[in-house]
Amino acid sequence: MKKSILTLVLVLSGIFAQAQNQYEQGMNKAFELWKTNNTTEAAALFERIASVEKNNWLPNYYVALVNTTAAFQVLNDKQKLTALLDKAQESLDIEFTKNPDNAEILVLQALIYTAWISADPMKNGMTMSGKVMEFYAKAEKIAPNNPRVVFGKAEFEIGGARFFKQDTSAMCAQIEKAVALFSTFKPETVYHPNWGLDRALEAQKECAKK
Amino acid sequence: MRTTITFLLLTLTQMLLGQTTISGKVLDEKKQPLQGANVFIDGTYDGSSTDANGNFKFSTSVKGVQILKITFLTFETLAQNIAIEKYQSQTFILRESINSLDAVVINAGMLEAGDKARVSVLKPLDIVTTAGSAGDIVSALQTLPGTQTVGESGRLYVRGGESDETQTFVDGLRVAQPYGASANNVPTRGRFSPFLFSGISFSTGGYSAEYGEALSSVLLLNTIDEPVQEQTDISLMTVGLGVSNTQKWKKSSLSVNTAYIDLAPYQLAVPQAVDWNRPYQSLSGEAVYRYQFDNGLLKVYTAFDASRFDLNQENINTNLKDRINLNNTNLYFNAVYKGFLVNNWQLITGVSYGLGQNKIDLNQDYVTNEENALHLKLKVFSKITTRLKLSFGSDYFLTNFDESYKPLQKGSLRTGYTSGISAFYSEVDYFFSKKLAFNLGIRASNNNLLNASSVSPRASVAYKTGKFNQFSFAYGKFEQAPKADYLKYHSNFENEKTQHYILNYTFAKEGTTLRAEAYYKKYADLVKFDSENPVYSSNYSNSGFGYAKGVDVFWRENTRIKNLEYWISYSFIDTQRDYRNYQQEATPSFVAKHTASIVTKYWISSLRSQLGITYNFNSGRPFENPNTDGFLNEKTKSYSNVNLGWAYLISPQKILYLSVSNVLGTKNVYGYEYANTANQQGKFESKAIVPTASRFIFVGFFWTISADKKSNQLDNL
Repeated sequence: MKKSILTLVLVLSGIFAQAQNQYEQGMNKAFELWKTNNTTEAAALFERIASVEKNNWLPNYYVALVNTTAAFQVLNDKQKLTALLDKAQESLDIEFTKNPDNAEILVLQALIYTAWISADPMKNGMTMSGKVMEFYAKAEKIAPNNPRVVFGKAEFEIGGARFFKQDTSAMCAQIEKAVALFSTFKPETVYHPNWGLDRALEAQKECAKK
Repeated sequence: MRTTITFLLLTLTQMLLGQTTISGKVLDEKKQPLQGANVFIDGTYDGSSTDANGNFKFSTSVKGVQILKITFLTFETLAQNIAIEKYQSQTFILRESINSLDAVVINAGMLEAGDKARVSVLKPLDIVTTAGSAGDIVSALQTLPGTQTVGESGRLYVRGGESDETQTFVDGLRVAQPYGASANNVPTRGRFSPFLFSGISFSTGGYSAEYGEALSSVLLLNTIDEPVQEQTDISLMTVGLGVSNTQKWKKSSLSVNTAYIDLAPYQLAVPQAVDWNRPYQSLSGEAVYRYQFDNGLLKVYTAFDASRFDLNQENINTNLKDRINLNNTNLYFNAVYKGFLVNNWQLITGVSYGLGQNKIDLNQDYVTNEENALHLKLKVFSKITTRLKLSFGSDYFLTNFDESYKPLQKGSLRTGYTSGISAFYSEVDYFFSKKLAFNLGIRASNNNLLNASSVSPRASVAYKTGKFNQFSFAYGKFEQAPKADYLKYHSNFENEKTQHYILNYTFAKEGTTLRAEAYYKKYADLVKFDSENPVYSSNYSNSGFGYAKGVDVFWRENTRIKNLEYWISYSFIDTQRDYRNYQQEATPSFVAKHTASIVTKYWISSLRSQLGITYNFNSGRPFENPNTDGFLNEKTKSYSNVNLGWAYLISPQKILYLSVSNVLGTKNVYGYEYANTANQQGKFESKAIVPTASRFIFVGFFWTISADKKSNQLDNL
């Protein structure tokens, strides 16, 4: 019987602890889902968290990020692409108006436009590439040592330079710098953005080829 | 035993916390299950995604009345109040979002270019990347179906209508003088540089009740809301130079564009069929200022241009040359405010003012004229729901025209008029579903000069028959006051009227667009007069009439051959009218029965070049030969023209552009002019109307300076 009471106490306290850490639990679960490629459910869970955590920009940021990364996988399926990017934009807009000077949000906004450009460079390249550069320029002013800002900008510039067979060493140097910044970058909490190193390493390899 | 106790305890804790299970099913409108919809109690962590059968199940600890929210990509979000304690398993139906890409579009008559257009026939990039258009918006539009190539005029002629039956609007406000000045049979250009506009809608009929005073067509140009970045563009061309600059501030931005065009040096290099005393010269400037308020946007657009030329034109009647010396100045101003009112209602209000002045010296007979045109506009509209849109608005057009004619010998004659037109309209758009939508509108207007009122209903309906294809139908009544050429002498007129019936079929799949349209258009109350030209002493009436019917086909495709983009337009028209001083019903001289264009753009990556070829063809146009019986029943030979354009990217921001018109050197004839009186042999002598130059060569260097080091002017070539 003693044991049963103990179990009861444990279960109850567990539930209370759970209630307090619902946010963390939710975020952990969402990241887990995302890692295991359950993107729809991951985005759905982030969206539910956002409906509670109205003063936290992270859940909506991740709704946007999950959908944007998913969009890069379906660049040829215009209907799906549009649905995903519209959802991403809609979620990011909610936080963008509240935090117009958040470098991470600016980087993600630039990424959404980059997806549009990659899907149809002829149609969107002219109108959107200026915007992408503007977002990176603004982010750079706010957080010059954020690895995602440094890398995102360099990666976007390098594509154009390669096409015109221009010297890419300046951008490669920036990618180099970004890789170093990634190793020292400390996110504010475990849930704050901390992605991008793998792509930076790949870009670094591309640079080394020449 | 212990497991039983643990189980009981767990159930107990569930009950202590008051967990309730919420379950149900989510289906689409066709009762098919939706997988992956997000179902949750708003403001809680409680929720789940639906499975492959559309089922969901989760538990919640909240109580009382809560909002159950269901969100899913491309579907409308559903929010429903539920009482947790009483909740029973339910089935929810999500409606597909009308905003999604594949919803039906009401598009009969409409040809759109721009970012926002769902079924766009032109991409913003190639509004003017078209070889042979040389940066003129109107020339690019002439490669679209429904238009006539009238080379000696350079204006838009739509579906058997005269060029002034098309009304041009910038940001919804009328442009009373959309074209530069020109002498008889010397082509003119549109006034607007393409680079300040983000979207162009060109309607060849059946347009919205928002637009009036246009019998055939409306051309809607929208200026850019927010420029992308600060940049400077420099153009050096064989015919002149241009500079433009955009500056951005926190809430506002300013774009300025100036150009100086002088055909004199070119004229020296390549002689033309025109005997110039002073070839065409113009100085123009445009500016757009934008200011972003908290819940609105103000745009102010101003354009100014001054042009002049002086030429000697052969006159078939006198065998002498007429000297025409023309100075034209034009000012256009337009201010529009767009903002949010309460409860989802939005407002657009604006004013435009156009001043056109011509000073013409015709063999020392002086003609000066001035037109002042004002347009006031107010429109309010609201998306009541995602499916229902209402709009109301009113327009006021004030036009004042004044002309003075001073012949060399004696006296002077002043003519002119002032007219005020007030109009109200109302419109409703409704989507029954993603497949079926309609638009109903009505426009009422009153012209105080003519003392004429009219009511014009408009209606269109669109139905999607498959994933990629749809049909739409439009009907409308349209009216327009007679043009200044008549009104300056006479004002006892009715409005001229048309009725349009349009059936449209559109197939639009990624990379492929097919658009076929059949139409019937009926003209009534057209102006007639009984003299050689409309003059003071002519007798005028509204007894003219006519019809136009035809088929327009447009095909665009860019997926079959890599880097090749092309479109083909074909128009067939059968039209006759009895108007002006016609003796009987006849096909006017500006109409060719068959018109076709092929526009191709090929991107050669290894050469960093875009090669463009444009081919225009039309069958012979009617002309009146007084040496034969009948009226307007002779036809010219057919017209054909091949234009070549080559844009070479020296670096991302420097472009060299070369274009050559009429590469094959075809000798084209637009029509014939005949003498008013017969010669001694009893023959009326004639003269062919031919292009001013059989070939035009253009070389330009375009340089863009901007922070992104990528933008360039390729889209303006």
